[in-house]
Amino acid sequence: MAATVVTVDRSLKPGVMPIVLGFKVTLKAWFESLFLRRASTIEYPEKKRNVSGRYRGIHVLTEREDGTPKCVACYMCATVCPAECIYIEAGERPEKTIEKYPTRFEIDLLRCVYCGFCVDACPEEAIIMSRENDLVGTTRAELVIDRDRLMARGKLVEHGPGYRPVDHDVRRPVRIAALERLKQEHGIVPGMPEGASRRPPGSP
Amino acid sequence: MPKCTIDGKQIEVAPGTNALQAALDNGIHIQHFCWHPDLPVDGNCRTCMIEVEKMPKLQIACNTVISEGMVIRTDSPKATEAQRTALEFLLINHPIDCPVCDQAGECYLQDNYMRYGLYDSKVEVEDKVRKRKVVDLGPIMLDAERCVLCSRCIRFESEVTGTNSFEFTNRGDHVSIATFENRPITHDYAGNLADVCPVGALLSHDFRFKMRVWFLKPHESVCPGCSTGCNVFVDEHDGEVQRLRPRRNPEVNKSWICDPGRALYKEIGLTSRVSGARVKSGANWEGVSVSEALDVVAQELKQSGDAVAFIASPQATNEDLFAFRAVAEASGGQLDFRVGNPQDRLRERIDDVLQRADRNPNTQGCLDLGLARDGVSAILDACRAGKVKALLLQGPELLRAGEAVDALAKVPFIAVMATHEGVELDRAHCVLPAALWAETDGTFTNHERRIQRLRAAVPAPGDALPRWELAGGVLDRLGRALPVTTAREVFLQVAQATPDYGGLDYRSIGAQGRVLSRAGSGTTAAQEARA
Repeated sequence: MAATVVTVDRSLKPGVMPIVLGFKVTLKAWFESLFLRRASTIEYPEKKRNVSGRYRGIHVLTEREDGTPKCVACYMCATVCPAECIYIEAGERPEKTIEKYPTRFEIDLLRCVYCGFCVDACPEEAIIMSRENDLVGTTRAELVIDRDRLMARGKLVEHGPGYRPVDHDVRRPVRIAALERLKQEHGIVPGMPEGASRRPPGSP
Repeated sequence: MPKCTIDGKQIEVAPGTNALQAALDNGIHIQHFCWHPDLPVDGNCRTCMIEVEKMPKLQIACNTVISEGMVIRTDSPKATEAQRTALEFLLINHPIDCPVCDQAGECYLQDNYMRYGLYDSKVEVEDKVRKRKVVDLGPIMLDAERCVLCSRCIRFESEVTGTNSFEFTNRGDHVSIATFENRPITHDYAGNLADVCPVGALLSHDFRFKMRVWFLKPHESVCPGCSTGCNVFVDEHDGEVQRLRPRRNPEVNKSWICDPGRALYKEIGLTSRVSGARVKSGANWEGVSVSEALDVVAQELKQSGDAVAFIASPQATNEDLFAFRAVAEASGGQLDFRVGNPQDRLRERIDDVLQRADRNPNTQGCLDLGLARDGVSAILDACRAGKVKALLLQGPELLRAGEAVDALAKVPFIAVMATHEGVELDRAHCVLPAALWAETDGTFTNHERRIQRLRAAVPAPGDALPRWELAGGVLDRLGRALPVTTAREVFLQVAQATPDYGGLDYRSIGAQGRVLSRAGSGTTAAQEARA
């Protein structure tokens, strides 16, 4: 059996110095916070830490100009949610162009893992996240937040929006070289707006 | 049998088969919209383009009949390009409102786009031709904008129902589908329009916004609405049935089911389901466990000797009927099932499509198992004469029958296996909670003696049990236990005890059912029909 050789640093003599050296970092922080007011902690909850603009905090349902939810109850978020914390019931909207909206939209914030997949999946930018991160309640039920509370998230102003789609123009028309050429050489505009020439390519 | 080669795969098909059918049957997917296996070929969508050797131009697969030695390519650059271009045409004016469209998830446009799509549209959303949306046609919602003009609905209306409700209107890129003056669809097969529509132009009003289809789990089953026995899928999510949908069986229902049958899923999740057993003590009901209720039933049967009678139900599966018959045989009482004589209407049609006058799914099974024995009127006479001390009912049919009320009042003990609450249950003295057709495995035998399987899709409410298990519980207590624990094993017993069912098991019944020979004749009903 091979013997294990332990080397002990004996350059420091026993006494006060090793203790002072061992507390070097602690003492430095103590000195800085006491005399220079340079603390790395904050006085939560009176003060709150400033988080990134892409922070994934509590969800917000965005609204249209008339105050109704932007959500069309497509269930993409509920489908992609790995925690299965989103519950939606769809209803009929009178506008024929929109048709569908959520009559119920609930997120169980205790089940949510704040992955942000719901934001990524949403085709309407209807669900985004805020930077709010202090989740406090006295019962489980009050942390299952419903549609109206998701929409009336006044605290969004206080904390600012968090994770949300970066490219707002997801339906940007794609420019295709062949179509550009058609337009330049033959005066044909894709989509045929009013007054556009309807000459087929090649005709005089 | 012509042989051909599709994408390098040697295939032999029945004469007259078209290339699309041949490819699909052999696991080669060709996109298609207007072609439907149970509708005549129209060839208008032009999306199923294939390259056939020695033919100068591309052909549409749906209207190319396979001939000997044909060499077909569905995936050559030329064919793929044509398929892609045809799909692009269909999408030019499509609104792409998949988030609010109920068809999303089972939409031909979506599925095919995943494969043949261009991914970047040349047309801006604002430039599309707008058409009518959210048009209420009764059981169907029409969205003309989503339509790809495949004319499947028009052909369904002309070929299957003969009602001709739909027609194309306008010209050019303004063509849209419509009914005359927006009249609603009134026939009994409207739900099939939503099924044949490959996109979200025609959607079911009943299923509207209820559930996204990818959450649904389908279970193969049989519609219990009448003696036709249409094959269905029971689509369920989280133990709750959301809809019924036809399952293709060319011999029975093709790809269709009727609307009354389609609506039958609604009876499953009702709050009025019987979920626990109860017995009458004096004038009041007392809730008991199923086991206690079965003790009471067995006790009453034992005490009554052979002064007992049994009424089976043509709503029950063959397994249920077999176990019920075993109880009757163990007690030696009278037995029948013909409340209201359903067997007289067994094969009578009430329309030219699917529906039959006998609204029970398993009247033929009752006949095959020999349950037409002593006659219901004879049993009722015995009741009136006070010769029946205990009556066991497999369903509430007799309790509902007006002519039986006075006779039932003379019977000191009536036990009934019930699925739904109703005032008629007050005429009984013991109620046993029974599972419905969607909650139990089993078999039904339809009007042409085709034996078909149903599968448990959702759990039964509360303490409810399949009727064969309830009957099995009574048998246990009578000391005549059946050596079975599953419906599959009960069916093996059925097959053993019933001459025509000999040799059958769940596996050999298969997905499309098996036609039994007509009793004694040795020929199948299908053969007879052909002769």
